[in-house]
Amino acid sequence: MTSAVVMHGLTKDYGSGHGLFDLDLEVAEGEVFGFLGPNGAGKTTTIRLLMGVIHASAGTATIFGLDCDRESVAVKREVGYLPGELPQFGGMRGNEVVTYLGGMRGGVDRARVTELSEQLELDLGRRFREYSRGNKQKLGLVLAFMHRPRLLILDEPTSGLDPLNQQTFQRLVTEARTAGGTVFLSSHVLSEVEETCSRVGIIREGRLVSDMTMDKVHELRFHEVVIEFSDSVPEAGVRAAAGVEDVSVNGTRLACTVHGRFDSLLAAISGHAVTEMVSREPSLESIFLSYYSK
Amino acid sequence: MSARLLLRLHRIGLVAMAYFGIFYVAVNSAAFPLIAGKTRALQEAFGQSITLLGAQFSWLLPSPIRPDTAAGYLQWRGYGFFAILFAAWGLFSASGAVRRDEDRGLVESWLSAGISRLRLLSTRTLFFAAVSAEIVTLTGAAGWLGCVIAGTPPAVSGLVGESAALWALTLACFGLGLLVSQIVANFRAAASAGSVLLVVMFLLDSIGRSSVHRAPFTDISVFFLFNQSNAVAPGGVFDPAATVLLFVVAAAATVAASVGFVRRDVGAGLIHPRQRPKAEVHEPSVNPLLRLAVIRGLWIRRVGALGWTAGMAVTAASVVLLVNITATFFASTPTLSPYLRGLPGNVHTVLLALIWLSFAQALVAIFAITYVSRWSSDDSSGVLEMQLAEPIPRWGVLGERAAELTVTVTAMAFVAMAVILALSPAEGIPLDVGKMVSSTALLVPFGLTFAAVGALLAGWRPRVAVVTLSTITVISYLVFELGPLFKWPNWADNLSVFQLYGTPLITPVFVGGLIAMLAIAAVGFGSAGVVLARRDVAA
Repeated sequence: MTSAVVMHGLTKDYGSGHGLFDLDLEVAEGEVFGFLGPNGAGKTTTIRLLMGVIHASAGTATIFGLDCDRESVAVKREVGYLPGELPQFGGMRGNEVVTYLGGMRGGVDRARVTELSEQLELDLGRRFREYSRGNKQKLGLVLAFMHRPRLLILDEPTSGLDPLNQQTFQRLVTEARTAGGTVFLSSHVLSEVEETCSRVGIIREGRLVSDMTMDKVHELRFHEVVIEFSDSVPEAGVRAAAGVEDVSVNGTRLACTVHGRFDSLLAAISGHAVTEMVSREPSLESIFLSYYSK
Repeated sequence: MSARLLLRLHRIGLVAMAYFGIFYVAVNSAAFPLIAGKTRALQEAFGQSITLLGAQFSWLLPSPIRPDTAAGYLQWRGYGFFAILFAAWGLFSASGAVRRDEDRGLVESWLSAGISRLRLLSTRTLFFAAVSAEIVTLTGAAGWLGCVIAGTPPAVSGLVGESAALWALTLACFGLGLLVSQIVANFRAAASAGSVLLVVMFLLDSIGRSSVHRAPFTDISVFFLFNQSNAVAPGGVFDPAATVLLFVVAAAATVAASVGFVRRDVGAGLIHPRQRPKAEVHEPSVNPLLRLAVIRGLWIRRVGALGWTAGMAVTAASVVLLVNITATFFASTPTLSPYLRGLPGNVHTVLLALIWLSFAQALVAIFAITYVSRWSSDDSSGVLEMQLAEPIPRWGVLGERAAELTVTVTAMAFVAMAVILALSPAEGIPLDVGKMVSSTALLVPFGLTFAAVGALLAGWRPRVAVVTLSTITVISYLVFELGPLFKWPNWADNLSVFQLYGTPLITPVFVGGLIAMLAIAAVGFGSAGVVLARRDVAA
């Protein structure tokens, strides 16, 4: 499989420890890559480097083998871009913005624009300044998807969208992927990444701290288990059980986390009277929060 | 709200009024002996000429009182003219404070931060009252200083009275601007409606002053109330009742605006035009102009470009109509008549050339600054980032900007030229069409010179581009205007870009100046291309 996006030692140093440092990352063609991280982690900086809007302090970034800085015009022919925040187009109507920016690209696929605006339920006849935040975001999505690009670079794409339109967005991403497209999207909302991405990279303080497939992400999952015993608590046996961590005992109540299968925990408590047992799977959000805090 | 933020929000008006108020007044009063002459006899003759001229301009300014004195001249040329400027400042400051800040979402965020509507409006009003008082006071002080330099200090009490009247007029217009801004729903509508109100009040006063029969409702005009005082001129009066009435108008309008602001929805006006239901649109625009390079920018900014073109055409027409009056004034003024004798060619042609080209250059320079301002805001607002997300190179964006400006300046200049050529025969002004075309065409490289410097500044430091270019332009203009008046050396005169343009309507084209302008434009845009290519956008 060929690479759509390749970054080698990509660095943008703003000084005082701010920026992006030594980013090595590859995104394969056909992949939907989620770039996760808290606010200010360096997601937008990475995206702007890919778009050639800002220049790297060191390192390189290529898209389909084209240098994002030196060959940025050729790169943009292949890319559909949604910035973190759309600029003010004032009194221009939505359909004028589409034709204006589409004209810079050489033309507009009218049928595609109509299809997208209908799917997103966006009235292109209204003036930009009359649009709500969500409608501005929808217009941004139309602009990014309208020329069926090989690569979509989307900065926080569902920001401001209602749940129904978030589902529409997920469908659009799936369609793009089915058609052979690649998607690079940034987010700090895990649930959105969970729904759409095949791989995620986690960035923190300008450095990539993790890069894994969604399958591996799911392997990070664990269960929080609380067991109420009628008399004695087999604490030593539970602590010794494989895959069991964070054991705490309060009277006849034992709490722990279980990674993977439950067999060893069940073996450790066998022979003890259990009055209540509750197992809860935390959301991916909680999993990553604990990951960030490490 | 901090004073720093308020200063920032009012900075453009403050800078403009500081220039027009303080500098303009000081220079005009101080230069009185140079214009009118140094002997009493010359000054009296000058005063008679001004009185005749003033009668012809009574629709615009109140009749002059003792224009043979520096103080009388200051009253007519300074305070008469300032009524319009200060009124416009008050009105547009109010529209901006209410509507522009509301359009930008600032008002919503201030209100959500816990500031009450009444407190917000009163803070803006009190701040404007304070800064306008300061500008008016400094204007008065500048006038006094100018008259002292001219050798005839005016009565301080008169200056204080006139300043009070000017301040009251400014506040009244600010209050009316606040009120109008509550009625409509956006800045453009507020500024337009306010302008119409101001023009109507100005015309009421103007008609009342210049017609034999007293026009109805003249007394309700804020300009009428202001013009009841003319205390700077020797023998002039200060009308406290009219001034108090202006303050009452200001207070009443502000209170009414406050009630309106409390009652209406943020983002809406007191008048809600009922929107007709429209079918949703899901197709892109079919307008082919939006797809063509350069043309798309011209189309998007067509209203502004047409406004500038119309404004320049109206200015051109006014200048043509003024030439004969000015020629008569010059001929009848002993200190100025020698200038006419020394002019190369027909007096009317020369006056047209001097007046029109001076206006045209100033307008083109200001137009270039407005374009540079847009380039800077495109950068900070993210429009440039969106443009660069499309497959066009950065130099392409720059080239398109330069081409758009070139086309608009060309249209503005040649439409104005057509107006001049159409009107001048009726006014008896002989014009050489070839020279008219070349002087008009030269306005294009002239405009490009400013735009190129602006493009370089916008590419390098977008946030300071407008302020820096405006400063360069003002200094350049002052050198051009004041150099000959104060007999500065040639090398100082030649520092002005305005000097490079020359006087192509009456003298041969200044080839050296043209080459210099083209060189500045080429180097400026070339450097801007390099700087823009290397710079981070939206960072």
